[in-house]
Amino acid sequence: MKQRRRLLGLLALSLAAPGAYAQTAAATTAPAATAANLVDPASVQALKDMGAHLQTLKRFRVTTELSGERVLADGQKLQHGASATMDVARPDRLRATMRSPRSERVLFFDGKTVTLYTPAQRAYSTVELNDTLTGLVEKLENRFGIEVPLSDLFVWGTPAAPLDKIESAMNAGQDFIGDDLCDHYAFRQGQLDWQIWITTGAKPLPRKVVITNRSDEARPQSVSLIAWNLNPGFNDSVFRFVPPKGATKAEIVAPKAK
Amino acid sequence: MSSTFSKMPLAALALFVAAGLAVAPSAEAAGNRGGGGGGHHAGGGAKAKPQVNHSRTDKRANNVRSTSVNNVNVNKNVNVNVDNNRGCCNNGWDNDYHPIATAAAVTATVAVTSAIVGSIVNAPPPGCVPVNYGGYIYQQCGSTWYQPQGSQYVVIAPPY
Repeated sequence: MKQRRRLLGLLALSLAAPGAYAQTAAATTAPAATAANLVDPASVQALKDMGAHLQTLKRFRVTTELSGERVLADGQKLQHGASATMDVARPDRLRATMRSPRSERVLFFDGKTVTLYTPAQRAYSTVELNDTLTGLVEKLENRFGIEVPLSDLFVWGTPAAPLDKIESAMNAGQDFIGDDLCDHYAFRQGQLDWQIWITTGAKPLPRKVVITNRSDEARPQSVSLIAWNLNPGFNDSVFRFVPPKGATKAEIVAPKAK
Repeated sequence: MSSTFSKMPLAALALFVAAGLAVAPSAEAAGNRGGGGGGHHAGGGAKAKPQVNHSRTDKRANNVRSTSVNNVNVNKNVNVNVDNNRGCCNNGWDNDYHPIATAAAVTATVAVTSAIVGSIVNAPPPGCVPVNYGGYIYQQCGSTWYQPQGSQYVVIAPPY
């Protein structure tokens, strides 16, 4: 009895094997055909619509709460927090206050010069930079290794946000962020998986962004909650930096490109 | 694939620690204190806000092999950890730690021998100059570098 069962089992296995083999072979050759289907055009269009709407906002205050992760040598992850408030006047004015446990820093940009001020040190660095906000975030990053919070906000809706690099796009349903009903989308591009929650309706705004870094198997992830004030009270003087008494100028050193 | 990525910064970090420790003791003695006018140091604004204190932080918390990223479009070194030979990772706006900003005992005075990487002082010696590297302010005193940390300063290996 036992023997017969074993024999039967063997037979089933040998019969099933060729089928399984054929299936995996088919799967490895198939992707070319399905690659296009991974990108849902409506999800990409939602990004375009949001980008176009962002570009129409002339003056706003946006605040963000961020949770980021560091991966330690053994793969354990630590989470940390930071927050930022940004006063923005398109096309070329920005004041960003960035807070994290170890420092507070303020970035001033008036379309011609950009200053980074660290109040606790009373130290500031100023650089000539005649550009738009899109140019600002790109140049600060590439020349000085300085990241502007929510820099995507200044890039979406411009050619600098290449939607054709997206390898996968899907609608992940709807969700509430605070009281705002949002459409939830998920994308994959390069080493990044990212998700965005965009308010529903005719004036789409991003309310939450999650970015998963796949270049490390521990997949460190950042979560940014975004809040909007489209009728801010500031005037243009907030974009000008006036060195406080006793402030010193700090030489700014470009990171070594490698 | 990712395992090769994760090994690289580890090796770099080990090197970094070794180099930093070797350099530290003699560094401060060299009177070469930057060309700075004015003895600006000691955390400015008398703020009522409580300051963070990392003096009890475990060393392992600073042994970082990679980090999360904060934006999708302006990407730097998401794929490869080649941005510098010091720590790892990108300089996110949220990410103002330094790989060796780890704690030792707080020394009340700045003795010559205290400039060991990882040691904490209440104020850097006079004549330090502020330097902005990667968007963060450090105090450079000749070949010794201090990273502000709350109201105190940690001796770090040179950031570049």
